[in-house]
Formats: sequence, C-alpha cells, structure tokens
Amino acid sequence: MEADGGAAPSQGQLAPPAVEAVAPPKVERLNPVVQQQLNLESVKTRALGLYKTISHILEDFEAFARSNTTPKWHATALIIVPYASALAFFKYLLEAIFTGSLLGSQRKKKKSFDVISELLHCRQDALGQFSMVSMDLFNIVEDIKNVSKAFVVYPRNVNAENATILPVMLSSKLLPEMEAEDTTKREQLLLGISGLPVHMQIEKLKTRIDMIGAACEAAEKVISDCRKAYGLGSRQGPTLVPTLDKVQAAKIQEQENLLRAAVNFGEGFRIPIDQRQLPTSLPSHLADVLSFGDGAQNLGDNAGAYGKNTSSFSSNQGVLQTAGGQLIGRSVPSPSNAVSFDNASTPPMAYANSPRSGTNIMNTPSPQQQVQQQQQQRQKILQLPHQQQLLVQQQLRQSSAAGVLGQGVMSQLHDLTGQTQQKLQQITNMSASMQSQSLLPRIQFGLTGGHTQRNHPSQMLNDQMFGMGPSNPANMIAMQQQQQGGFGNISTHTQNLQSGMVNLPNTTQNPNFPQQRQQNQS
Amino acid sequence: MMFDLSFLNMCSSRVLEFDLDIIQCVDESKLKWTSFHLTDKWSALCKESLRLSRISEFLLLNPLYIIRIMHMLHVEALQILLQGLCGVPKDRVRVHEFCLKSGPNLGVVPSEVRLLCDLAQPTPTWTVRHAGGAMRGAGAEQLSVLVRSVVESKVSNNALRFFYAVGYKLDHELLKIGFAFRFQRVVPITVTVTSANRMPRLHAIDDAVPLTPGIQLVEITAPAAGDNYNEVAAAVSSFCEYLVPLLHLSKPGVSTGIVPTAAAAASSLLSNSGGKAI
Repeated sequence: MEADGGAAPSQGQLAPPAVEAVAPPKVERLNPVVQQQLNLESVKTRALGLYKTISHILEDFEAFARSNTTPKWHATALIIVPYASALAFFKYLLEAIFTGSLLGSQRKKKKSFDVISELLHCRQDALGQFSMVSMDLFNIVEDIKNVSKAFVVYPRNVNAENATILPVMLSSKLLPEMEAEDTTKREQLLLGISGLPVHMQIEKLKTRIDMIGAACEAAEKVISDCRKAYGLGSRQGPTLVPTLDKVQAAKIQEQENLLRAAVNFGEGFRIPIDQRQLPTSLPSHLADVLSFGDGAQNLGDNAGAYGKNTSSFSSNQGVLQTAGGQLIGRSVPSPSNAVSFDNASTPPMAYANSPRSGTNIMNTPSPQQQVQQQQQQRQKILQLPHQQQLLVQQQLRQSSAAGVLGQGVMSQLHDLTGQTQQKLQQITNMSASMQSQSLLPRIQFGLTGGHTQRNHPSQMLNDQMFGMGPSNPANMIAMQQQQQGGFGNISTHTQNLQSGMVNLPNTTQNPNFPQQRQQNQS
Repeated sequence: MMFDLSFLNMCSSRVLEFDLDIIQCVDESKLKWTSFHLTDKWSALCKESLRLSRISEFLLLNPLYIIRIMHMLHVEALQILLQGLCGVPKDRVRVHEFCLKSGPNLGVVPSEVRLLCDLAQPTPTWTVRHAGGAMRGAGAEQLSVLVRSVVESKVSNNALRFFYAVGYKLDHELLKIGFAFRFQRVVPITVTVTSANRMPRLHAIDDAVPLTPGIQLVEITAPAAGDNYNEVAAAVSSFCEYLVPLLHLSKPGVSTGIVPTAAAAASSLLSNSGGKAI
C-alpha cells in the first residue's frame, strides 16, 4: 500500500487486517513481492489499454449520438449519461489501481461494468469488436477483485486531528478522504433540493433513480430489439462465458500435460526397439546423411552409434547398398547369433582380396586389444558399430548372394586403390592403439581403399600390429560378409573385429564383451 | 583409439567450458579441432570424418522460454493477432528434430544434443543445439520466464553421422510443423506455434501424425546475455500481455488452463479479418 511519510508512525496502531505476507510498508512503492504476487503490473497494463479503448468507444458514441437522432439510438444518449458517471468511477478505479490505494465498493464497479457492457453492445458492427474489450473488462474486474482482497482501507494521512477517530472510521470502512469526496458528491446530487425537507429530498432522489432505471431498461430493450433485428444471437456477456464441463477440461489438461512432457522430455516420441528399423526409402534430407545400414544401430536403446558411410558410396556402390539394405532390413539379431559365423567354413583365399576380408581382419584384433589394454572408452565406442556389424554378418551369412556381392565389391574396390595409399598414412596413428594382428596386410588394405573410414582397417593391417590367430579364417568369413553389407567407417570395422573375436571359441579374452553388447542392444 | 571426449560432456555446469572449447576447437576456415582437451588422434578423426563445413553462426544464447499449449481452434486467431502485433509476415516452420543422448563412453552424466533439420528451406539446413540447465534460484523463481543457456550452431549435413560416430545415440525424433514470427521489440523475439508430430517408424516423415491432435505448442523465445536477461524477460513478459485474451503463457514446467475468453477472442479476431488471406 502506498504510504506517505506521515502514515508510517501510525502503522503500529492501525495494524491493518491480515494481508498475505506483506510487511507494513514503509516505502513509497508497493512491495515488489506483492506486486508480483498480485500481478499488478499486468492488471495495470491491461487496465490502461482498456481505459483508452473505452474512451475511444465513448467518444465514438458521443459523436454518433450527436449526429444520429433516430429513435432507436436514443437509448445510446440515455446510456451515456449514467455512463459518464460510471466512466468517472472507472477512472477513479484505475487511479486507485495505479496508486495502489483502496478501491471502491463493489457495487459501483458492477454497475459501471454493466453499463459499459450495455454500451458496448449497442451497435452491431461494434459488437464483434468490443466483445474482446468486454472480455478484457471482465477479466480486469475479476482480477481487481482478487487484488482488492490484498488491500485494506488505509488512511492517507494520519494526524492529531483524526488519529482518535481513525479506528472507528476504519471499522466503518470509510476513508476520511473518501468521506470528503462522498460529501461533495452528495452536495452535487442534492443541488437544488438540499433546502427541502428530508422526505422530499428522498422522494426526489427516488424519482431520479427511477428515471435512470427506466432509461437502462429502455436501453436494454432497444439492444435486444436490435439484436433480433440484426440476427445476432443472445448476448455473450461475461455471465455467459461458455464454461467447459469438467470432462472436457480434464481431457484438455491431460493432452496439455502430454504435450509438455513430449516437448520437454521426449515422452511419446520414442519408438520401441523392435520397430527401429531404417526404412528402405529415407527422406531426401537424410538420404545423403545416413547409409542404408545405419539407422537401427544408432538408436539409444540399441547398439548405439556407429559411423556411417554415406555419399561417397552412392554412385559406385549402389548395388552393394541395395543388397545391404535388404539384408539389414531384417530383424535385429541377438548378440549370441554373432557366434555362428565364426564357425563357418574357412573361405578360400580368394576372399582375401575382397574388401570385406580386409575389414574383418582389422576388426578382429581389436577385442584382443581391449582386453589387453582395458580401455573402456574404446570398448564402448567399438561396441556400437560392432552390433551393427553383427547384424550385417548374420544377414550376409544367411544370404546366398554373398559371393556375388563379394565380386562386385572387389571390382569397385579396385577402383579405389589409388586413394587408399594416402589415407593409409593418415589413419596409421589412429590405428596405432589397435594392436591387432594382420594376416593379409598387403592384399586387404589395397582393396579397402576409397573412403577414408574404410581405410582404417587397412591402416591397421599396414601397421602389422594385427595378428590373426587360428581363428582368423573364421573371422575373415565374417569380415567378408560384414564388408559386403556395411562399408562402415573405422569404428565399424573395429566392431567387426570385436564381434569376431568375442565369438571365437578360442578367444576368452573378453568375457565382458558380450555383456556390453547385450547392454547396447537391450 | 584414445581420446578424451570430456568436452562433449555437456553438463549444464560446464556449458561455459564447453563454449570455450568449441571456440577453440573450431577454426572455421580450416575445420581444425584444436581444443586442448583433444588428442591428436581425435583431431584427425574429426578432420576426416566430420566435415563441419561452414559453421557460419555460433551463438551463445540464453533464450527465455515461455511455452503455452493452446487449442487448435484458436491457432488461426493467434496467427492473425501475431500478424497484427509483429508486423512481419510469418515464416513457415517445418523442422525435423533429432534428440541425441550421449552414451556412457562420454561421461557419467548423459547429455543431450539436438539436431534440427530445417525442411522449410529449399535446401535442408542443419543446426546443432545444446540447451543447458535452467537458471535456478530465488531470482529465477521471480522471473516469469525460463532462462537457459543454449549453444547453437549451423553445421554441415554430416553432423548426424558425426555424433553417431562420437557415441551419441538417437533418443527420439519429432517433426514440428507450424509457423513462426520473428520481430524486434526491445529484443529480437521469436514466437513459434507448432504442432509436435511423431513418426510411427524411424525417419518416416511423411507418416508423421500430431502427438496431441487438438493442441499446439506456442513458444516465445528471445536471446539474452548474462547481464541483461532481466530486461529481456520484462520485454518478453510485456509482449505476452498482448496475448492474454487468447492464451496464458507460462514457464515450460508450469501448466496453464484454457483461457475462458479464448473462444470469444478468437471469434472476434477471425471475424475482424473477414477472410483476409495472410
């Protein structure tokens, strides 16, 4: 509440009625906490805007009333008169809001509000426009009711003269200033009849009230006639605000919560694991970004991310991609299935020239490395492409077209030999940590040229850090098959190696690996 | 291979560190990652595998969010109202959003990165965005907006592959379709009205259906710096006052109900326009 300096000392005596969490104000501005709690700023803004709008409306009507004397608009003129006083009160109301002092009685507000509503519904084309204004007014009135609960009668100045009677006045809810204004208004009203006896004054006032009442009723009748004449529906006054029944409101609330959860936390957008298969036809903006075999394994609940080869393959390797896509489109295999390929028969050395074999060889040593070096980061990263490689491996094994595809791969890879050499140099460092054994270093890396990422396994071979144990032939088969399906990047190949190694019967170095992979897939 | 991906562990408390790392990391002309956190191997990997071409914008934003859910019927009315308030034509919004979560190899605390692919442009443009934690504290409670640290950058179209390679996994994806108004009112304010669509199958954009058919999402965001977010918050709040007849806006975590005057306000807005095409 606003307080002048002189009001401060009387705070203790007056002890205003309980207001929520407001310390006795000794500052000249409203407590900002209260301001925010009551959203006074918004009320003020809206009241200002509304006030201006209504002023404009009033001006329009006055101008119209002067220019137009048709009978049905007489009501407008009649309304303006009481409206003037209502508007005056409304101005007072707004002033009170701005200054934060006590607000007037509720009765006047309601009356002014009703009158204003009448006014607003006078003209047909104005109705639509001003329905919003009336809604705003309704809202403001409601808000003011809430706001006024936080305020109490507060004398602006307390001095020796009224100190003794202030408690009494407060109990009667009359400000001394308001009382003075009341007296002035009373004098205005009784102008001309104040000299008469009281009962006559009363009668005259009664007749005045009746006249105003009659004017309002006539105005209302005119309004309803106009509504019927112009085919408008029943009045949409504030009392007729359509309220949603509880079921609808609950449904809307539920939908709202659903949307909030979805946008903020992603609920409702996640696809179950079994449905996370990359479609054969990707949208245009993803076609270049994702390769055919990538999607399923990059989903959070599954294997997770692994690198993807993309556009560099597009032209030359369309055949492979198609075949791989078909293969990969099948169900996601379980990690245990990856074992099977290891037991496949040893492929002839002809496969050694296929790019897949090179890839697989490079992937094979990596699980050994992990076990040796116990680098968890790598393991997890490698696991991600690994699962995809498993997927590819299994599918390829199931496919009888593996051989055909292998030849196709070889031809394409030969074209890329030239690029291989350069990239081998680059990736040497990266593969340094991958101390895997290489069985066919020269042949394989020469064939895996082309994409940067595919050269990684070649690098590993070059480094001669890889070693292929007795299980290598089995791995090679798997690798060939893997390569056929997914020309992944470095990590992809690495994954292949890991999977190969884990599932080899003679490899017991990585007991945790299947678990890790299973985790990724689960 | 050994590399320290700590810089990618975008915990909210380390956003500033992350910013510095990225600024050091990315040399726009050479695409060379030279952060002190990274080893050479990682540097080489990035250079070869991720063509972060043309990081044309790198903004450190603190967007202030007010999110409001509003009923579908009033979207038209809101569009008209915003058209009048903002004075700029609306922008179509059609964004394919990938929400990527970091795997366990990138730190104990999972972090989230969003890739936004703007499909409204003739050529799809990709943006990477990381939103940090919201500002907390008594001051934040007082504000009627949510303040978050956000890092955004345009990236090349292989960003998705890059994040997959690093260890991020796709948590979910969604499609946002709607419109947006970008205008200046003390600060540049963006009002976005979108319907969140889910895809029944992976990346199946054409089959996307709205998650909540009758309700759309209204977001009002504005960038701010660390020292002026109060003014920005005030500007955003005052703008929201204009929308009061139609909808109440609230912080993202707070729920609001239907505004009782929404129907009348919407009808009046729609009738005013009289079928004007916008």
